[in-house]
Amino acid sequence: MAIFNAKNRVIECKLVYYGPGRGGKTTNLEYVFRAFKKQTTGEMVSINTNGDRTLFFDFLPMGLGKIRDCDIKVQLYTVPGQVKYGSTRKMVLKGVDAMVFVADSLEIRRKANMLSLKDLQKNLAEQNMSIFKIPLVLQYNKRDLAKEDMPIVPVEVMERDLNSKLKVPSFPASALTGEGVGDTLKECLKLTLHHLQKELSWAR
Amino acid sequence: MSDQEYIKSLIKEAELYRTQGLLGQSKDTFTKVLRFIKKDQQFRNHKKLTRTVVDKIKAMEKELAAIHEAAVAPELSQDVQDLVKNLFSFSKNKEVAEVEGAVALAKFGQYETALTEFHRLLKEGKVPLVAAKNIIRCHLALSSPNEAIDQFEQWVSGDLLSKGQLNNIRAFLESVLEKKGIKAKLPVVEAPSETGETEEKEGDVLDISSVGVRLKSGSRKGSIAEFDVTFQSGNVISIVISSKEKDLADSLELGIKLADMQFYSPIAIFRGCGIVSRKTKIKSGPKKGDYMLDIMVESG
Repeated sequence: MAIFNAKNRVIECKLVYYGPGRGGKTTNLEYVFRAFKKQTTGEMVSINTNGDRTLFFDFLPMGLGKIRDCDIKVQLYTVPGQVKYGSTRKMVLKGVDAMVFVADSLEIRRKANMLSLKDLQKNLAEQNMSIFKIPLVLQYNKRDLAKEDMPIVPVEVMERDLNSKLKVPSFPASALTGEGVGDTLKECLKLTLHHLQKELSWAR
Repeated sequence: MSDQEYIKSLIKEAELYRTQGLLGQSKDTFTKVLRFIKKDQQFRNHKKLTRTVVDKIKAMEKELAAIHEAAVAPELSQDVQDLVKNLFSFSKNKEVAEVEGAVALAKFGQYETALTEFHRLLKEGKVPLVAAKNIIRCHLALSSPNEAIDQFEQWVSGDLLSKGQLNNIRAFLESVLEKKGIKAKLPVVEAPSETGETEEKEGDVLDISSVGVRLKSGSRKGSIAEFDVTFQSGNVISIVISSKEKDLADSLELGIKLADMQFYSPIAIFRGCGIVSRKTKIKSGPKKGDYMLDIMVESG
């Protein structure tokens, strides 16, 4: 839930990267940390295992400057994607304002994408939130693997699998090279700010 | 595609899955290669190839086993623990925020630090019931039911907690031990005196984020309607019902007692009852026409 400090004119919001294990959530954040140094307001924190799998979460604080005389601060998080860390995902999702769902384009991960999206829907519902109402962007990651002749799912099929009902913005990407990462984040931030403006203009 | 090219492409695929950290998929693909080699006349006797693929499968199995056996919750550094406390406390109420931070530590498996925090809160008289119950939970999470029982016995012989609070904790400890199949003889606590002891109700200072109300009338009679809490002041919460749900709003009349309610807070879910103490129609803004209800909470 976004925090609006009326006295200091600061808005803080929480954006969570979700998706199946090894899909590229942490790689997304690592790229953002490298590429958008000017906007990051602290170090990236990663709590992971020896094998570099996210264990609890990754965290990256960002400042977007002033909009309508309000300082906008965003906290980016990732969740652990492995199935066994369900309770940690719920914990990290608390108070979320916006989501990026990072789907793995590998053919072999097609089912994992759909299960993860269902998991997200269920966890949001437990917090009385709807996946159809929260600012959400889909990212179809690992598109670069097509160049290595790896079996990846065509974008139109991923749209059918994941976005036929949601109908949210989606971006093909390669978190490793950075392609599409910035666009995904910018669109998500745009949706978040639009959503917050609607909520906060009523509060005023 | 020749058999050789097919094997090469499968191995390439398996290697890629391995570099992606998809160890299960990598192992499955190497296994597919092995099955193919064993069936194929050209490669059946190719010992070097077979051995290489078998070694790869074993390596994947070893890595997978290591992942499964890895500590579920390794000890985090102090800096990271402080960050966890800070990031996962949401309440504007300072005491509740401190509890939320300690609960977050426990949820991330940092039980020892969480215990230290809860003991501190208890010693400082902050939200004692919540702190004490979470101390019990931490001991049980550390598979130390005897520690939980010892701790309770210490509280009984001490003066940190009132008799009413001790009885509350006793009932809680008894039920959680029973769920674990443990029958423990817990010290009996005298009933609290009728006068002079004002009980701190566990629910009073908790931030309630949403409520469930069992409806007693209307088209949804008998079902539970859930509402987000838009505002809370002490034990009075406010909810908004859309103008499109007039029937629902009508079933929650001013003054009605809601006997079967569920309250959801970041750290606990509890049952209780409430009274609709105020009901107005919102006159302006995006929610114009919707109904704003105040409910005075009476914990169960």
